[in-house]
Amino acid sequence: MDISGADFVQGLAFLGAGIAMGLGAIGPGVGEGFVGGKACEAIGRKPNEAGLLTRTMLVGQAVSESTGIYSLVVALLLLFVV
Amino acid sequence: MDELTHLPQITIELLGLNLVFNTETITMTWIVMGIMIVFGFLATRNISLVPNPFQVVGELIVGAFWGLTKDALDEEMARKYFPLICTLFLFLLIGNWLGTFPHLGEPTKDLNTPLGLGILGFVIAHYSGIRAKGFKAYAKEYFEPIFLMAPLNVIGEIAKVVSISFRLYGNIMGGAIIVLVVSHLVYSLILPPFLLAFFNLFIGTIQAFVFTMLTLVYISVQVK
Repeated sequence: MDISGADFVQGLAFLGAGIAMGLGAIGPGVGEGFVGGKACEAIGRKPNEAGLLTRTMLVGQAVSESTGIYSLVVALLLLFVV
Repeated sequence: MDELTHLPQITIELLGLNLVFNTETITMTWIVMGIMIVFGFLATRNISLVPNPFQVVGELIVGAFWGLTKDALDEEMARKYFPLICTLFLFLLIGNWLGTFPHLGEPTKDLNTPLGLGILGFVIAHYSGIRAKGFKAYAKEYFEPIFLMAPLNVIGEIAKVVSISFRLYGNIMGGAIIVLVVSHLVYSLILPPFLLAFFNLFIGTIQAFVFTMLTLVYISVQVK
């Protein structure tokens, strides 16, 4: 099979998109799980504050998610722009 | 699969500049605004002690956000910024839910909308910071803890705009792509409604809430 320059670049871009998404999903996964676990502990200790804790947890998770979103944007750029 | 990269555009030449309009985004934004105006009209048309359904929903949302705004800012400031916060939430909520209906798309799926709203929040936060503290105290914050940290602080402020807008865009766009790809794989049988319910209704609500809360937090950090 013959692979010339443009195809090679395209293939590498797809590979890069896969790697970026796969590695980039590790950090947010760990971080969001950590936040969720801590929030569960806190709700177990203070069930009355569940509303406030859930709200804070969602905002914290969304913030820790942003690195994953960056890798998604990079992957999209690699898939559709390169 | 052509829908993924397809973005309907009109280019108009004006004074040697190429003005590009993303027609779908603009149409959807106007639809969202129309829905909001109709909803506001129906909710406030005849206010009474025994409310009609629209008034109940309106009171729920406004009451919840009034509490949140009052917690983050003090009473006087909250009265000033509450309309902005509540409108931002409603706009993003209806915008994120719009993609659930056939032939409609989320206006937030285009990066221009979140970026515009992010810059709006950034400018308002810094303007209110300057007004609340005076320019000298505002500028002094950039040189803390030491003089050399100024470039890092400036970059940190700009990164806030990038992160807040890319977060919304990435979530909505990613959800739309996953729904499209999976629908394509299963020939649009059974799965897509559940995926739409998760990505548009659940994630859309959370992201609208997060965007609003972060804008509120940025304002409250600057004001205090």
